[in-house]
Amino acid sequence: MNITEILFWFLTALAILSALMVVFSRNPVHSVLWLILVFFAISGHYIMLNAQFLAIVNLIVYAGAIMVLFLFVIMLMNMNSDSEPQKNKWLKMAGTVAGGSLLLILVAALKNSEVQYQKVEGAQGTIGLIHNLGKTLFTDYVVPFEISSVLFLSAMVGAVVIGKKD
Amino acid sequence: MNVIILSAILGVIMMYTGVMSKNKSTARYVATAGILALIGANWLEFAGVNFFNIDTRGMLEFTSFGLVFNLIILVCTLVYFLLSGKDLEEVGANAADYFALIFFILTGIAIVSAFKTMLMLFIGIEIISIPLYILAGSDKKNLRSNEAALKYFLMGSFSTGLMLMGIALLYGATGTFYTDGMYLGLGNITVMKMAGLVLLMISLGFKVSAVPFHFWTPDVYDGSPTVFTSFMATIVKAAFFIAFLLLFENAFGRMHSEWQFAMALITAATLIIGNITAVFQQSVKRMLAYSSIAQAGFMLLAIFALNNIGKQGLILYTAAYSLPTIGIFAVLMRMKDYTYEGFNGFAKHQPLLAALLAVFLFSLAGIPLTGGFFAKYYMLVAAMKNGAMFWLVIIGVCCAAISVYYYFRIIQAMYFREGADPGIQVSEGFKTVLVLTAVLVIILGVHPDWLLHLLDN
Amino acid sequence: MWSLSGITSEINHWLYESFSPFWAVTIEMALVCVLVITLFAVLGLILVLMERKVSAYMQIRLGPNRVGPKGMFQTVADTVKLLVKEGLTPAGADKVMFNLAPFIAMISAMLLMAPIAFARNFQIWDLNIGVLYLSAVSSLSVIAILMAGWSSNNKYSLLGAMRSGAQIVSYELSAGLSLLSIVVLTGSLSVSEIIQSQADGWWIFKGHLPVILSFIIFIIAVTAETNRAPFDMAEAESELTAGFHTEYSGMKFALFFLAEYVNVFIVCAIAATIFLGGWMPLHIGNWEGFNKIMDYVPSSMWFFGKTFFLIFVIMWFRWTFPRLRIDQLLNLEWKYLLPISMVNILLVTLIAIMKWHF
Repeated sequence: MNITEILFWFLTALAILSALMVVFSRNPVHSVLWLILVFFAISGHYIMLNAQFLAIVNLIVYAGAIMVLFLFVIMLMNMNSDSEPQKNKWLKMAGTVAGGSLLLILVAALKNSEVQYQKVEGAQGTIGLIHNLGKTLFTDYVVPFEISSVLFLSAMVGAVVIGKKD
Repeated sequence: MNVIILSAILGVIMMYTGVMSKNKSTARYVATAGILALIGANWLEFAGVNFFNIDTRGMLEFTSFGLVFNLIILVCTLVYFLLSGKDLEEVGANAADYFALIFFILTGIAIVSAFKTMLMLFIGIEIISIPLYILAGSDKKNLRSNEAALKYFLMGSFSTGLMLMGIALLYGATGTFYTDGMYLGLGNITVMKMAGLVLLMISLGFKVSAVPFHFWTPDVYDGSPTVFTSFMATIVKAAFFIAFLLLFENAFGRMHSEWQFAMALITAATLIIGNITAVFQQSVKRMLAYSSIAQAGFMLLAIFALNNIGKQGLILYTAAYSLPTIGIFAVLMRMKDYTYEGFNGFAKHQPLLAALLAVFLFSLAGIPLTGGFFAKYYMLVAAMKNGAMFWLVIIGVCCAAISVYYYFRIIQAMYFREGADPGIQVSEGFKTVLVLTAVLVIILGVHPDWLLHLLDN
Repeated sequence: MWSLSGITSEINHWLYESFSPFWAVTIEMALVCVLVITLFAVLGLILVLMERKVSAYMQIRLGPNRVGPKGMFQTVADTVKLLVKEGLTPAGADKVMFNLAPFIAMISAMLLMAPIAFARNFQIWDLNIGVLYLSAVSSLSVIAILMAGWSSNNKYSLLGAMRSGAQIVSYELSAGLSLLSIVVLTGSLSVSEIIQSQADGWWIFKGHLPVILSFIIFIIAVTAETNRAPFDMAEAESELTAGFHTEYSGMKFALFFLAEYVNVFIVCAIAATIFLGGWMPLHIGNWEGFNKIMDYVPSSMWFFGKTFFLIFVIMWFRWTFPRLRIDQLLNLEWKYLLPISMVNILLVTLIAIMKWHF
């Protein structure tokens, strides 16, 4: 086992553990913090794939901005385990069964998947470097890229409409 | 491409109109002019004139099917602006922004009617959805409107998440976003591809409010300001259907027999639940919400059948369902009482409006000589042509019969009950537009071919 | 002329000769850790003393003058006091988060050290997206502040943390946009390349008015991002006792305090690197003789000189401007700085495309 593999397994275990903790934490603030940890672990994976730009953007956008706003809202709402609505026992059971089935199917899908034997491009991969990413984004994917500005514009207009005083 | 770019630009223009002009009605006039321009641009593109020459790398493909669909959507939006534009201004202080959001939605619709990659599908669906969340919650002082917006937003983002998951699985399995390039044939189906397909089916089923993913629909349609319910239940719903159809035709068409049974189950459930629940509603607005679910069941038949007649039927259905529904909502918005009792004696006090409403309800119920008849007819023929699962056609026919009951309850209330004057004021212009809409519905019912001939271009 | 890069390459050689590559890397990492922590401690001592001396100078008084010559060991004495003080944890606090927060603040400040070039060829990690890395990691400090404020279970703390969060998230935008203007001009995100591109003059001189504008915006934005007066809404004493660290005492308080000063150092170092050439001596175009003379000053001197000058400017702000109200603060960002920096970046792009810069 070389250092890359050790790092990989460490990050993977960290990501899965934190993701589970997001779900199992009673306190929503803890959930958000665990989620931040998940993003860090995923950024670590990106770095191992030599996709440094993606790793950093993942941090800026998720850990730095979105999660901070999440924290903001949740902290202001002051939710704790007491205010958590008690769900029906049967509902919980049904949820568990449904979620478990979905998990089973997804695991089955990935277990026998066609990507299984394709090796991941490791530290030699160059696709995630900002140079190549920028080139692809502005040549092959320029139309979706530009059109997504309409999406952001509409979201912005919407936020202003909702936030404006009547 | 004309419509995509122009309507995005028009959205920005509408925002500036709101800033520049203090007069509330300016926005409406500009928006109406804008929609006329869009219809012109769409027609020109149909005739082969492109304003913009953009290499989309095959991500968008403007077929005559998509363009005709767009044309219908734009005409419906024009009718919607003419009939309900004034009511739209009354919802809040941001009329110009609402128009801007509607133009952005039209951009999204133009994208989903032409997409060739999952990427475009996703962006298009999101451009349609996000403004809708806002429009649903635009009546900020009203708690029910807030509830509608929140519910729609939460459910909508969840289904978007499922869609992304499905796209990711398919991308992982095939290595491409292009729907044609996926080669999802019968010979090479794996669990991963199937899981992706199911996730996409669920999320799009959610967007078109197919049973069992319909639970948000009545609350959202009922809680939103009526003027936006009218838009959501007609134009937007049809747009999601075109996305659904194009995706399942282009990407999953070759493995049709794999998912056909699941689709049949969803269609049957949608037809049955939608129609039966609609029967028990007391509020006309809520009844129309359930009726939109029921109509969605008929439109799902096109995706189930996946043949040419189904595609033609979907075009016809879009027109024959959207136009009457917009008309009914436009009248409903002016009523104080949304229950059936509110329509008591309507024919005596407003004979013209009552007659027009009756035409629209006939079309929704699928009575011959109205557009709705041929729309339903095409759908059932498509399902029959498909050959498999004949029971679905029988369910469809039965449900069409059930739907007559709740649509005719309004007619019965209008013509055969006594009631006080609802006291609604309508302008001459409103009446003219409504008459023209009704004429359009009847023309579609007498001679649907002129619309379908456009498809042959 | 001695240089730091000579020492580091010397050590590197020796390590790789004596150990296997794995151990060599490990030892180097440990060395870097020790160095960064030492730098932290030293910076903390110097900056706190500097703050007090500068404020005394501004207010025409002496400042600390008892411990050591001219009060030079005052901060050492303060540190000893903080170390031996009892660290309290409030009863209603979220214990784990409360104790974790100061360390996260420290760690996020330490991470920022990585791409900063202290001298010629003296840089911990020259990654190819250094500028993005800086703006990403600098936005993480807000998490520590929010954690501290929330877990203290104290209204003042929570309010301070909320203000701080709003402030950092919004000012990050214009800070990022002004950094971007230099990225547009150099066409690279790597810190070392940005420094190299200033070999014939610093960007603030080469880039005309737009770059000066983005430098000013950057300084304003980072002053706000580090929660310093006149933007110290997060800990406004007169309103919120001490803001997010009201409940902290002893060493944990010291860590926050230290992190704040180190953050000031780092943002000034970034400004010095991006706009003022970092370790690059003052060069003017092709004045060979002048450039030669300037090269005789060691590169680390240039770096620390510029950085400490900027730190002095930021301290100067503190004793010059009155504190803003929270709504004024957010108005300043969203209604003035952000639109200005957006227009500014267009101008810079125009300059870069037309090659109008020197």
